[in-house]
Amino acid sequence: MNDQQWNTLVSVVRGETLSPLPTAFIIDSPWLPNWAGHTILDYFTDDRIFLDDNLKAMRAFPETMFLPGFWSEYGMCTEPSAFGSVCMWGEDEFPFARKVLRSPADVEHLEKPNPRKHGLLPFVIKRLKHLQPEIEMAGHKIRFAVARGPLNIASFLMGTPEFLEAIKTHPEQMHRLLEIVTDFLVEWIAVQREAFPSIDGIFLLDDIVGFVSRRDCEKFAVPYLQRAFAADVTVKFFHNDAPCKASSPLLESTGINLLNFGVQHTLSDMKSWTNNKIALMGNIPPRDVLAEGTPEDVKRSTTEILNALADRSRLIVSCGGGMPPHAPTENIKALISTVEEVTR
Amino acid sequence: MQDLTELRNAVIEGEVSAAVAAAREALDNGVQPLDLIAQGIGPAMAEVGRLFEEGEYFVPELLMAARATKEIFVILRPLLAQTGAKPMAHILLGTVQGDLHDIGKNLVAAMLEGGGFEVTDLGVDVPPEAFISAIKKRPVQIVGLSALLTTTMPAMKSTIQAFREAGVRDQIKIMVGGAPISKIYADSIGADGYSETAAASVDLARRLMAS
Repeated sequence: MNDQQWNTLVSVVRGETLSPLPTAFIIDSPWLPNWAGHTILDYFTDDRIFLDDNLKAMRAFPETMFLPGFWSEYGMCTEPSAFGSVCMWGEDEFPFARKVLRSPADVEHLEKPNPRKHGLLPFVIKRLKHLQPEIEMAGHKIRFAVARGPLNIASFLMGTPEFLEAIKTHPEQMHRLLEIVTDFLVEWIAVQREAFPSIDGIFLLDDIVGFVSRRDCEKFAVPYLQRAFAADVTVKFFHNDAPCKASSPLLESTGINLLNFGVQHTLSDMKSWTNNKIALMGNIPPRDVLAEGTPEDVKRSTTEILNALADRSRLIVSCGGGMPPHAPTENIKALISTVEEVTR
Repeated sequence: MQDLTELRNAVIEGEVSAAVAAAREALDNGVQPLDLIAQGIGPAMAEVGRLFEEGEYFVPELLMAARATKEIFVILRPLLAQTGAKPMAHILLGTVQGDLHDIGKNLVAAMLEGGGFEVTDLGVDVPPEAFISAIKKRPVQIVGLSALLTTTMPAMKSTIQAFREAGVRDQIKIMVGGAPISKIYADSIGADGYSETAAASVDLARRLMAS
C-alpha cells in the first residue's frame, strides 16, 4: 500500500465517511497468480513472479486498495508448517497442511515453534526482505503483520471437526492448545514488526470463529484474539467470512477495528451488531457475482447493497471474503466504477 | 411404548454417555431398534438440524449430537442385522479427488446416519475409481460428493463422468454439496440433488429415494 492508500484506510477505521467510498480487496494466492497468468506453485516459489504479479494487480487497478498488500504467504501451510505439519503442494492447487495432533492428549507434547527458525516462516520474511527495495521503489510499504488466527491454526493442527468437537469434550486441552498457538502468534507478529518497521497493522484470518456459538466464542476465541491483537498498531484487521452474527458483537473487545465478513449478513445488520464501532469491508457476493457474474450483475449487486445502507461511515466496499478465484478484470473494474458513481 | 424423551434430549444436547445409556435402557425395556430410530434418533436429529438452521446451534453442537447418534448406532447395528431390518438406503460419501477437507462431509455423514441411512464414508481425496469400486462391491443407492474448493469442484464433474463410463451412473442417485457448490452447478454437472447445508441433506436423501 502506498501512503495515500494507507491514510485512506486509517481515515475509514477512525470513522470518517469518505466520498466516494473507498474500495479494497484481500488478494492472495487463490486469485492473484492465475489472474496474472502463473501457477500457484510458481507464485509461491519465485520471488520475481510474486513481486510482478502483485505490482501488476496494483497497476491494473490503481483506484483500489489491495490488502494486506504484498502478502507473503504459502496458503494454509504458512503457520502450520512451523508446528511440523506435512505440507502438500500441487502445481496449481491450494496447498494443504496435514494435521499433527491425533488426539486432544497430544497437545501435552506440542511445542511452541520459534517463528525465526521454524517451518516456512523465515521464507516469508526473507521473500519480503529481498523484495523490499523494489516494493518501496514502486511507492509501497509493508504495512501489515499477517497470520492465520488462533482457532484457524488450532483447527489445522488437529483437524477442524476434531478441534470443534474437542472444545466440548476436552476444553482444558483445547485451551492449552490455543495458549500455545497464541503465544506463538504473538511472537510471530513481533518478528514481522521487527523485520519491517513500516508495519502499523495486524491482519488475522480466522473463519473458525464463525463456526462456534457466542458462548464458545467468549471462551475460546475472544481471550486469544485479544492477546493476538494486543500490539500497539493503528489498524487491527480481521477476516471471517463464515457466519458472524454470534461473534461480531464481541469483536470490539478484542481491539479489532476493521472487519471483512461474508455474504450471510447485510451491512446494516453488521453495523448494528458491531455497534458501528468497527469499520466494515464488504460484501458483494464473491463467487456468484464477482467471479461468475457479468459486469452488469456486479453493478446491480453493488448498487443494491449501497442503496440499502443509510449510514456509510466506517465502510470500505469489497467482496464478502477474499478475492475469489477467477474473478475477471472487467468485474473488478465494474465494482470499483459503480462505487465511484453511486457514492460520489 | 416407552417414552423416548430422555433419549431425544440427550442426543439434542450432545450428551453422548446419557444418550447411549438412554438407548440401552429403551432397548432393555423392549423398544424395537427401528422404533428407536424412527421415534428417538430421527426426531432428535431433525430438531438439531432445525436449531442449526435457525442459528441456535453451531458446528460443535451439531458434531456432538452426531457423535451421540453414532455411538447409539454402534449398539443398534448388530440388532438391526439380527432383525433383518434394512436402512432407508446405503449412501457412499466422499470428498472428491484433490480435496482434503472433511468437515462438511463429516457433518453430512452424521446427519444422514441420524436420519436412518447407512453411510459408508470413503474419506477425503477420493478418486472416481474408489467410488466405482465401492458401488460394485455392494448395493449403493446414493453417492454424496463433497468439495470445499473451487479448484477441486471440477472433480465432481469428472467423477460423475467416470460413473457413466463405468456403467454405474444409472444405478445411483448423486447428491453434491460444499462451500463453492450451487444448485446451478449441481444441475450443470448432472447431479440429482444439491444440499446447501448438512442438515438439509437428510431431506434431500429422502427425496432422492422417493423419486
